[in-house]
Amino acid sequence: MTDTTKTAENIARQLKELTPGSAVSLQMSVDNYLDVMRGVIDMYAGKRDMDTIYVTATISFEAIKRVMQALDIDTSRVYFVDCISHIMMGTAAAQKDEHASLVESPTMLENIMLKVEYLIRRSGSKEKLVVIDSINSLAIHNNNWILSEFLHIMVSGLRSKEAYTIILSVEEHSTPEIANMVNLVCDQGIRAAKDAKEE
Amino acid sequence: METIICGPLYSQGTMPPRTGDRERCVTGIDGLDTILYGGIPRDNTVLLTGSCGTGKTSLALEYLIHGAVAGENSLFISVTEDSEKLLTNIIPYKFFDRELVKSGRLVFVDLPSMYERLGMTKSELTMEEIDLLVAAIGNLVKEMGARRLVMDSITSVCYKLKTPEKIRDFILKLGKTLSDMNCTSILVSEVAAQSSAYSTFGVEEAISDGIVLMANMERRGDLLRTLQVIKMRGTMHSRAKYVLDLTPVGVLLVPLLKGGSSGT
Repeated sequence: MTDTTKTAENIARQLKELTPGSAVSLQMSVDNYLDVMRGVIDMYAGKRDMDTIYVTATISFEAIKRVMQALDIDTSRVYFVDCISHIMMGTAAAQKDEHASLVESPTMLENIMLKVEYLIRRSGSKEKLVVIDSINSLAIHNNNWILSEFLHIMVSGLRSKEAYTIILSVEEHSTPEIANMVNLVCDQGIRAAKDAKEE
Repeated sequence: METIICGPLYSQGTMPPRTGDRERCVTGIDGLDTILYGGIPRDNTVLLTGSCGTGKTSLALEYLIHGAVAGENSLFISVTEDSEKLLTNIIPYKFFDRELVKSGRLVFVDLPSMYERLGMTKSELTMEEIDLLVAAIGNLVKEMGARRLVMDSITSVCYKLKTPEKIRDFILKLGKTLSDMNCTSILVSEVAAQSSAYSTFGVEEAISDGIVLMANMERRGDLLRTLQVIKMRGTMHSRAKYVLDLTPVGVLLVPLLKGGSSGT
């Protein structure tokens, strides 16, 4: 088994222990982003027939979808809330894709909550997973006060609906303030950084 | 009857009643019903006010559709827009079924055709004509047994009334007529984008039982649609500002985030 597969399996294994409504901080390195994606979307959500709502503030939903398809991950149950395409003026694909909802800017945090709420209501699956990719990207556009408030309201709302939340953070770009903000709302932390040891 | 709390002290374990004992008209808009602790108190006349593009008509229509779906006869009186056009422009609500219109559960009436039928052709209505108009609306509500009514917009009617006295007279009479018929009503009011008032003529807000303000709020270059309940007789309610989105599953609301905002 390769290191990559091991990391992905390790993430999926830890996620499987979660109880409904849990929120998890998943700290990763830039280098193992693909392992995280495989572990979360394919080995965890995919195996449990969960609808995944993927909030992307880092790269466009198109790029993420391409990556997932290259990894042979089934994207039929992944719904994107894309906060970045609009400010890059690249909305054409998202407007045609039924699995993508656009938020005009990553500063419109309320609209992210509204799109997630809409997709949760629309979802027919019993279990739902919301992935926020990533807190570091949202922190570029928002101050810590409003971001902290956003996480608190969003995660509390998702908990009440028994949806799972995974907040991704990139180790290389993280600050103690961001780590504190995420820890405050999460029940558990998973580290998938380069030097993370198998537990 | 509304519960009036007049003593400052509550014995340990006794919470003040939050909602009174008024029967509720559940709007069906989850967020709004939560803000209102269960819905609009029955028979209230509510002013739904805001500038253009804030979602007033969509929210008012959703209120009626939910009512019709729940088995309550609902009446939409359109003043400015042709009802057919309105229906084609409506958000494709997942819960809207044209059968509601065909069966007469949800009725659309164009006020200009009502003016014509009543012979009200002049640009300004007289006091007698106001009485006639209120009676005609009352008859319509009675005939169809409407429990919910939306008039979109009251401002356009007020332009035909001209004076504050006539506007006051019209709204008071209309409100009383509808309330006596157990009809919970929403009167849509238009205000200018930069206006700090809740209505164009300054009269409408004072004589309504409730005011729901919808607005466009700019924050760091982003334009957010907001909703705030300013007043609602017969119930406690949140006075906070909420951000809304118009979606095929209806109006969705989330709290406005305050961190880092300038307090606007």
